[in-house]
Amino acid sequence: MGRTAADRIADVRRLLQAASAVLEQREELVPIIVESTGLSTEGVELALGRHVELEATDEELSRLVTCAGDVSRVAVVLSANVFVGALRALALARAASDDVVVRPSRRDPAFARALVSAANALGDTHLHIDEALDVAVVEAGEIHVYGRDETIADVRARAREGVRVLGHGSGMGVALVSAAADVSRAAQALADDVVVFDQRGCLSPRVALVIGDEARAAALADALHAELDRLGASVPRGEVPADERAASGRYVATMTYACRVLVGGQHAIGIAPPGAPLVLPPPYRHVHVAACASLADAAKLLAPLAKAVVSVGSDDVEAARTMAPPWARLSALGRMQRPPLDGPVDGREAKHR
Amino acid sequence: MVAAFVAGAPSPEPFDALACDLARYQAGRIEGYARLCRARGVDVETVANAADVPPVPTDAFKMTRVATFPPEETHVTFRTSGTTVGTRGEHAMRDVTTYDAAAVAFGRRWLARDFAAPAPVVVLGPPPSHSADSSLVHMCEAFVRAFGAPAPAESTYLVDGDGVLDLAAFDERVARALARAEPMLVLGTSFAFVHFVDAVGKASFDLPHGSRVMQTGGYKGRSREVPPAVLRADLARVFALGERAIVGEYGMTELSSQFYERTLFDETAPLGVYAEPPWARVVPVDPDTLAAVPHGSIGIAKIIDLMNVDSAVAVLTQDQVRRVGPEDSGGFELLGRAPGAPARGCSIAIDELLGRTRG
Repeated sequence: MGRTAADRIADVRRLLQAASAVLEQREELVPIIVESTGLSTEGVELALGRHVELEATDEELSRLVTCAGDVSRVAVVLSANVFVGALRALALARAASDDVVVRPSRRDPAFARALVSAANALGDTHLHIDEALDVAVVEAGEIHVYGRDETIADVRARAREGVRVLGHGSGMGVALVSAAADVSRAAQALADDVVVFDQRGCLSPRVALVIGDEARAAALADALHAELDRLGASVPRGEVPADERAASGRYVATMTYACRVLVGGQHAIGIAPPGAPLVLPPPYRHVHVAACASLADAAKLLAPLAKAVVSVGSDDVEAARTMAPPWARLSALGRMQRPPLDGPVDGREAKHR
Repeated sequence: MVAAFVAGAPSPEPFDALACDLARYQAGRIEGYARLCRARGVDVETVANAADVPPVPTDAFKMTRVATFPPEETHVTFRTSGTTVGTRGEHAMRDVTTYDAAAVAFGRRWLARDFAAPAPVVVLGPPPSHSADSSLVHMCEAFVRAFGAPAPAESTYLVDGDGVLDLAAFDERVARALARAEPMLVLGTSFAFVHFVDAVGKASFDLPHGSRVMQTGGYKGRSREVPPAVLRADLARVFALGERAIVGEYGMTELSSQFYERTLFDETAPLGVYAEPPWARVVPVDPDTLAAVPHGSIGIAKIIDLMNVDSAVAVLTQDQVRRVGPEDSGGFELLGRAPGAPARGCSIAIDELLGRTRG
């Protein structure tokens, strides 16, 4: 307690320096992350090279500090999700408190461990790892928990009275291709958003809504198919677990029956039949493309899935604002997976604050 | 085939031949199914084994029309119950005669074969007028007509349009049946029975000797969830019946056939094992390759349903099943939905958004 906003920003900046130090010496880290995440080596390098938020303006960090609040202690429970997400999680916790304890994911602990170790080496002694942290013994402050909704519910149930639990659950991204968009460019940018983390992040676009007719949606799908083929060569998809292969087969079969599907070596794109409700394709480079006559139609089509939408990317961000859920992060296509370090990626928890 | 079953005669045509004929018929009239067959590398013109007929995922029923006939010929459309995302699967039928005949024939076999006369049948569910698009309500109505003694609708369908259970009407029906020593048939969903058990509390509703209960379906947040064995024990206690008189039924909106536990009439039948009618097969398949798994292994249910004449003769569900008992006369266990994928990360799972229950 008693730190000024400038102190907090400085503490976060030191964490960003720690992240830079981790990236500079990543030769040993990369194969460990490849092993634990199942991403390809190129996929891990892409994530470390382009999706660790090292650059943050004072204004962004000021916003992050403001939304983090000021608490006596924060316990961070990380999940095996997008591994670089540990940086934002720790930044939020460190901005909030001078006493941060971190329980890394058991399956994917390497990046978080390295980050805390590097921060300690830079003199930050207020950040600790506790691999065996039991949320039931946290006596005060906040628990920041990342992971599946069941995990969050379990932590909420076990937390002591007076301890606030902030959950960051699963979600998805949506791409909106406006009526004015150049379809080829939109597909190129969207492919960048799809490939990183093999679509396993809550910002990853799984659905693309194309303003226009079915022919325009098909054109976007064809262009995206080509782009994902191209990117598949330079950033191969990682290992796909058996249950996700099954989900992929099921989605491909469903879309084959319902309308049309473009199946690449490492991806699939379904084109929705006119008027059909949205379905959610599996992750690991699957995109469901649907034509919408107008922005209002896009909003209507998305409404049943809205609670899961964390981000909306578009060539026309202002248009996206009119149809996106109010908590969703908005960004340009191609930047959906690189949100500024200005708060949690998932704005839905703000409802509970 | 149904008539032969009712008469106790052998099936007039081999199962595989009928399944393959239906696949050809459906591929010839549904472009999507023809596409799916081609994509699976199956030539429907030459396919000879039911096991090789490509299954249609249940999700397809949510995305598009699965029917061999034009919409204007639709007599009834059954819909899956609403989900959190509002997507409902639809199964259109132009004629329910076959559906009804098969449902009643196999329902009678495992629920009512010993009824010497029409019996008191009650449904812990809404009347058909409130749920015209529910295949379950339709089936219950068929059972009421086939097995039931005449009774007013308000004494038969005991949940009103607002979902309120009429315990007084049930009490009255039970009292009358007790006075006449008539065994009853009580039909309902798991969540309806949980509400019933909760409403009754520690009291009991002793049913007449020889009564039986058919319970089906999941919960989908409409009541607290109760493990099947616990619900069975609760129902046996509340109704003063043996646990073998609580008969599980498994069905889906996307199918035209149903499956039953054999416990009421086969004293050696294990609890939790479902029997198929001769016109349907439940094949556990590898969810990735869709190849049949070895007998006794767990797989996703691929259901070949010869009663799905005008829709999809083979349906791929997301339910896990395991074949048990002799290969030619055993049954299958229901093991719930396939588990989620922990390696997915924070990308939301479709199961977290979409649910499926039978409407």
